[in-house]
Amino acid sequence: MDNEILKVKNLKTYFFTRHGIVKAVDGVDFDLRHGECLCLVGESGCGKTVTALSILRLFDSPPGKIVDGQISYDGLNLTTCSSEQLRQIRGKDIAIVFQEAQSALNPVLTIGDQIIEQIKLHLPVDYARARDRAKTLLGEMGIPSAESVMSYYPHQLSGGMKQRVLIAMGLSCDPQILIADEPTTAVDVTIKAQILDIFLELKTSRQMSIIFITHDLAVVAEIGDRAVVMYGGKDVETAPVSEIIGNPKHPYTSGLIECLPDISKSTGKLASIPGTTPNPIKIPPGCAFHPRCPKAMEICSQQEPPETTISKEHKVNCHLYT
Amino acid sequence: MIKRLRDIIKRVSQHLRLNTRLINYYWQRTRRNKLAVSGLAFIIFLVALAIIGPFFTLDPTEANFEEKNIPPIGFVTEQSIYSIETDEFTTKEVPGTWKHPLGTDSKGRDMMAMIVSGARVSLQVGLIATGIAIILGTIIGVLSAYLGGWVDNALMRFTDIMMTFPFFLLLVLIIFIFGPSLAFIVLAIGLTGWTGTARLIRSESLSLRTREFVVAAKALGASDNRVIFRHLIPNVISLIIVIATLSIPGVILAEAALSFIGLGDPTVSSWGIILEAGQHSLNTAWWVAVEPGIMLFLTVLAFNFLGDGLRDAFDPKSNI
Repeated sequence: MDNEILKVKNLKTYFFTRHGIVKAVDGVDFDLRHGECLCLVGESGCGKTVTALSILRLFDSPPGKIVDGQISYDGLNLTTCSSEQLRQIRGKDIAIVFQEAQSALNPVLTIGDQIIEQIKLHLPVDYARARDRAKTLLGEMGIPSAESVMSYYPHQLSGGMKQRVLIAMGLSCDPQILIADEPTTAVDVTIKAQILDIFLELKTSRQMSIIFITHDLAVVAEIGDRAVVMYGGKDVETAPVSEIIGNPKHPYTSGLIECLPDISKSTGKLASIPGTTPNPIKIPPGCAFHPRCPKAMEICSQQEPPETTISKEHKVNCHLYT
Repeated sequence: MIKRLRDIIKRVSQHLRLNTRLINYYWQRTRRNKLAVSGLAFIIFLVALAIIGPFFTLDPTEANFEEKNIPPIGFVTEQSIYSIETDEFTTKEVPGTWKHPLGTDSKGRDMMAMIVSGARVSLQVGLIATGIAIILGTIIGVLSAYLGGWVDNALMRFTDIMMTFPFFLLLVLIIFIFGPSLAFIVLAIGLTGWTGTARLIRSESLSLRTREFVVAAKALGASDNRVIFRHLIPNVISLIIVIATLSIPGVILAEAALSFIGLGDPTVSSWGIILEAGQHSLNTAWWVAVEPGIMLFLTVLAFNFLGDGLRDAFDPKSNI
């Protein structure tokens, strides 16, 4: 398809540690289309964040290394391009918003300085214009009295404000793609709703392509167009959000959805998927999910499931459908 | 160019305006420490003395054997005077005079003038040598922490080697080779004194490097240079200030010690040089050695008190 703006193919990012090879991302495929919000969903430790960091090669190297795969953006393979080329792309074409707003802002620089610096890094504007732009951006993020916030230090702002500042920083150079790494996890519910509104607004008004990383299916339902469910460093199901929620195919996806509390039913105990995410050093052979899967078959522990097409937009990696 | 300059001035003035709050906060914290405040007061006094003092004192190099070994105000000494005619020593009582409030040395030079110009020299030595050491140490420490890997290893092993050298012996060696000019002494102290700073800055930067804002800066396209100078170094400034304040007295003492063993620059009258000259005449003119000694003592004490106070004030964990 033509309107794919970013293509990730068979991405494998391993960390070579003293205790063994951590296969944090082990063969992930997805593509991001122009103007859509793609959600990466999964439990902690399934490789969502490392996938995002891999796109801009931001993990520590060593020990981390992209051992295989392709990330194509604008005719460029981001896994092999030079670090100087990548630096030009970071922030200008692809920006990332981190989860912990508190630690993602430099404590000794004012908010204004941090945004202005960011703008001047990529755009050929002088200080005064960069400052105006920073102020406008903060205003657009719904920050009241942006002028005075510019002179604040990060510790003087609340968590939600800091998250908005981070988003403003991410947007400061009009990137094509915005990667948001759990931007709603560290804030409370009302702020969460406001932040989601910002992202929805970005999508509709700026036609921005967003990769939204979250473990919260409720968030996915609200802002996602399509979702990639990840497990054990692999993508296990890719589908439009309505399909993921209404017609999940992979037992893991259905498990996640069953875990959502339903206010209309009053069954005392909340459902959960038994067991924990696999140790990324020793990912089970075959399908990584089989030790926890209620529908596991013999073949599941022996052979990795191939990608199966359910419908044009719905793909799943599970032996149930082969 | 002018536009750029205006940018910078605008930013700096904005920073100063905004930071008055923060400076005020640290001042409030430091102020509670009486010793630190008195240290600061003494240092300010010393700086003023070094800058404007020489305009009001006599010429420190002017010898006058008629007026040699005059004691400070309030003291009286006995001097034996040899007379050629009678071939006899006569003793005479010599009181301190207001012309030479701190007395004169064995060549009749005014001690007050010498102490004041010595303050200038000692402060210069302390500030410049510490500046060199701090800049070197910061750069080496931050680079080491930020780049990691073999760079870190190489730099830190080099630091180890520098640390194992007996510092003073190295100084003596350098000065012996290059000659005792003040510039070389300062340079030598600066070039050998950075090791501790490098270690401290490295350990602080190591923890900063993994903080998310550094990754975030990189994610938004910042170069290594930018990360180091905009994000790492500003975060260790408070540490640098404390290290600098605490290492200035060491440097001043090192220069004095070098002078004392005769390796000082003989063309300037630093406190160490005066002290060294005074030790030979302790019997006849004790004040020549004691006065620069007291000044050294007070200066070192003042910087140490201030450094301790600043360290406590900058430490968010300390409750003062």
